[in-house]
Amino acid sequence: MKITIVVPAHNEEKRISIVLKDLVKVGLPIIVVDDGSSDNTYEVVKSFPVNLLSHRINLGKGAALKTGCVAAFSQGADAVVIMDSDGQHKVEDLAKFVYKLNENNYDMIFGSRNLSYGVPFVRFIGNKFASVLVSFLFGIYVSDLICGFRAFTKKGYEKIKWQSSGYGVETEMVINVGKLKLKYCEVPVETVYYDNFKGVTILDAFGILFSVLKWRLYK
Amino acid sequence: MIIGLQVTAIIFALVMIYFAYLHYSRGELGALEILSWVIIWMVTIVIVVFPELLSVFAKTFAISRVFDLMVIGGFIVVISMVYVSYVRTKKLEKKIEEYVRTEALNTVEKNKKK
Repeated sequence: MKITIVVPAHNEEKRISIVLKDLVKVGLPIIVVDDGSSDNTYEVVKSFPVNLLSHRINLGKGAALKTGCVAAFSQGADAVVIMDSDGQHKVEDLAKFVYKLNENNYDMIFGSRNLSYGVPFVRFIGNKFASVLVSFLFGIYVSDLICGFRAFTKKGYEKIKWQSSGYGVETEMVINVGKLKLKYCEVPVETVYYDNFKGVTILDAFGILFSVLKWRLYK
Repeated sequence: MIIGLQVTAIIFALVMIYFAYLHYSRGELGALEILSWVIIWMVTIVIVVFPELLSVFAKTFAISRVFDLMVIGGFIVVISMVYVSYVRTKKLEKKIEEYVRTEALNTVEKNKKK
C-alpha cells in the first residue's frame, strides 16, 4: 500500500524542522501544506526533501488537509496519514498507523491520546464531553475526538470528504465515519503539549459544538 | 427628550450620508449605490422630523406609538441586512478557499510535468 504523510502547517517555523527531521527518516512521501504562514515556515520546509504546497492566505486546518489529501491521492497514494506540524505527535507512533493500514481492514484509523496523562484538565473535560455528545447524537464513540494524528484510505477519504475549513475538521471526520458506518479503529498515540495558546481555543470549541448540532440537523 | 433623540438621529443620518459620499469619492460605491444610500438616509431624516407620517402604518399594525413602529422596523431592516451580509460573506469565503486551494494544487501539476 502506497502511503503518503500529509502535514498541515501554520506559523510553525520553530518546531516543524524537528518534526520533518524525524519524518524524512521514515522514507514515506511527505506533503507539507503551508497554510498562509506569516513567519518563515515556508522557507524552513523548503530545505527538506518534501512536497511543499502553499496557501497564499490562511484558510484553516481543514482546508489545508483537504489540499494535502487531494495532492496525495492525485499522486497515486492509496492511503494518507495526517499529523500535526507542532511536534506534539511522535513519529514513532506512525508505524502503528502503517501497520493498521496494511491490514486492509479499516477505512479510517484514529489516533487516541492518553487523555488522563499530560493533557490540560480543561481540554480533557472538553474532549470527553464532546466524545460523549457525538456518541449520543451520531452513534459513534471515539475516545479522542480532536486528535490530529489519523490515517485513512483513498476509499475512506472519498466517503468522508469534509466541509470544515477550520478546527472542526476532526470532529466532522468522526461524524462522517459514524454516519456512513465505515470501518474504523483507534491506536494509542503519545502527545506532548508545547504551547497552550495554539490549537483549539475555547472559542473554536464553541464553534465546533455549534457545528455538531448543525450537522445533526443537516447531514 | 424626543427632540434630543430626533437631533441625535438626524446627526447620525447626516454623518452616514457623509460616509456614503466618502466611499463614493474613493470609487468604492457606484452612482446608483450612493443615490440609494442618500435616499434611504433622507427618508430617515424626514421620518424622524415628521414621525406622524408613519401613524397610519402604526394604526394598521395595531402599534400604539410611532416610536415603537420605528424600533420594530429598524430591527427588521438590521436583521435582514445582517443575514444578507452573512450569506455574501459565506459565498466569498468559499470562492477564496477554492481559489487559494486550486492555486496551491497547480504547483503539484507543474511539478508533475517537470
